[in-house]
Amino acid sequence: MEQYYFMTKKMCVGYGNRPLIKDVEIALAKGEILSLIGPNGAGKSTMLKSIAGQLRLLGGTVYLGQASLSEMKGNELARKMSVVFTQKVRAELKSCRDVVATGRYPYTGWFGVLSGEDARIVDEVMALTRITDIGGQDFNKISDGQKQRVMLARAICQEPEIIILDEPTSYLDIRYKLEFLSILDEMRKKKGLTVIMSLHELELARIISDKILCLKGAYVERCGTPAEIFETDFIERLYGMEEADFLKDERFLAYVRQIGSG
Amino acid sequence: MDKNRRYRLTAAFALLGAGVLVLFALNICIGSVAISLPDILRTLGERRDTEAISRILWDIRLPRAAAALILGGALALAGYLLQTFFHNPIAGPFVLGISSGAKLAVALVMIFLMGRSVRVTSADMIFAAFAGAVLSLGFVLLLSRRIQSMSGLVVGGVMIGYICSAVTELVVTFADDADIVNLHNWSRGSFSGMTWGNVTVMSVVVLLTVLFVFLMSKPLGAYQLGDAYARNMGVNLRLLRGCIVIASSMLSACIVAFAGPVSFVGIAVPHLVKTLLGTTEPIRMIPACFLGGSVFCLFCDLLARTMLAPTELSISTVTAIFGAPVVLWIMGRKNADRQS
Repeated sequence: MEQYYFMTKKMCVGYGNRPLIKDVEIALAKGEILSLIGPNGAGKSTMLKSIAGQLRLLGGTVYLGQASLSEMKGNELARKMSVVFTQKVRAELKSCRDVVATGRYPYTGWFGVLSGEDARIVDEVMALTRITDIGGQDFNKISDGQKQRVMLARAICQEPEIIILDEPTSYLDIRYKLEFLSILDEMRKKKGLTVIMSLHELELARIISDKILCLKGAYVERCGTPAEIFETDFIERLYGMEEADFLKDERFLAYVRQIGSG
Repeated sequence: MDKNRRYRLTAAFALLGAGVLVLFALNICIGSVAISLPDILRTLGERRDTEAISRILWDIRLPRAAAALILGGALALAGYLLQTFFHNPIAGPFVLGISSGAKLAVALVMIFLMGRSVRVTSADMIFAAFAGAVLSLGFVLLLSRRIQSMSGLVVGGVMIGYICSAVTELVVTFADDADIVNLHNWSRGSFSGMTWGNVTVMSVVVLLTVLFVFLMSKPLGAYQLGDAYARNMGVNLRLLRGCIVIASSMLSACIVAFAGPVSFVGIAVPHLVKTLLGTTEPIRMIPACFLGGSVFCLFCDLLARTMLAPTELSISTVTAIFGAPVVLWIMGRKNADRQS
């Protein structure tokens, strides 16, 4: 049991009192990357929000190290887990650097003034995520792709042990998608960062993930290593395309098959 | 923080500080009897009740200017807190009906106590106003669960305000003749008739509340980013929301108890100050809003007293003239932002 850093036991997630996904069992060692894939509306975001403690669990427990997440104090959890959600931060009159610096919140004193050390970490992370040049720009005036990179920098600044990302690469071009994932890869190798994220880019999920969790409807369809998950027609089944007319078109079928088997 | 920003902040605070000093001085110099600055300095040195100038200064102008300074600051800060709370740039104690709720509670208590010939103390008034403010803010909170849009919330608040004002009018109509004069003046909003006793009580209450708000500046900053991120940063949202409600109600209550409802300061001042500072960080906005509110109210009260002297305008008349255009400007800019 000790070798796992992140675990869920019989986790049950959903809104209000209606369970959406039941009995989810996840176990990740330190430094592993888990990707959630599945069709729109399958509950990827709901699951990530529940794991991050944003939504009340409808049952079961989430463990971080030895401790149950629900028993951790706010600040203690904030130093261990950071998040990048699809909703952007409200940042009126804030520069990109200001937004990144908010990641230092759990480490600053009563009035939240950044120390020299905090400022150094902010600069370092901005260099790592290659946003130093837009640091002075107004956050509300940059592109969605740039915002996603700033939000990643903000999350890394929090110096977490685990990071939760909801579709973090959706607005990025191919170059930044790869760069984004390579940063996560580097962080997990160097600092043992554990990553849980939802991805729509299946071919990227396949190359970057240690484990993949497939969500469909009200249950976990499958969970395993990329090699176990990706089979010839699995993608078609997961996304409910077995009967789809467009797959009669050979070009589309070839595309889907290529992701599945590669 | 880079140098430009630091210069801008220093300049802004210097401007606000100087504004408070100059307007405070003008407020005690100008009036139906003009008093020159040397006279004022001499009179301030020693208080002589036999001298007319001394009485005007000590009994009328000084407490009035002090009240405008303290209550103006409190009002602007209450507006800033409510705007932060609702993530809504046009929220404020007046438009959300909080001032009117407080006014209703105070009117009821005044009529009830005066009817029994009991003297109404400052503490009674503040307590009544606080209860009224919390109650109407409670209604607004219930509304805000159903209404998500910025304008919808404000319309709801304005309606609550109208209901409270109507009930206030109703009870005032049935009150004894002698009370009506008192109530009527007060319910229009005015800084006149302040006593040193009033000023002492309001200073203590406002000072403590402002200090309390200032201590919340770090979680407030996180709250501005949005609920999800604030929660991830370890902020106890429930506790913080409760604190904001209590502090903003207390500040609004103080104003209503002593000066009656005063409109638009709560919306206009935080917005102007934010533009001046170029930041929304609570740790800078809280003191700056207070100073800005003082400047705005000292200025408006000066006009209210002198524009049509000897007739006095109600303070809300003047604040609306300067405050309402700011609100229109904010709304216009919001729309422009959305389109761009």
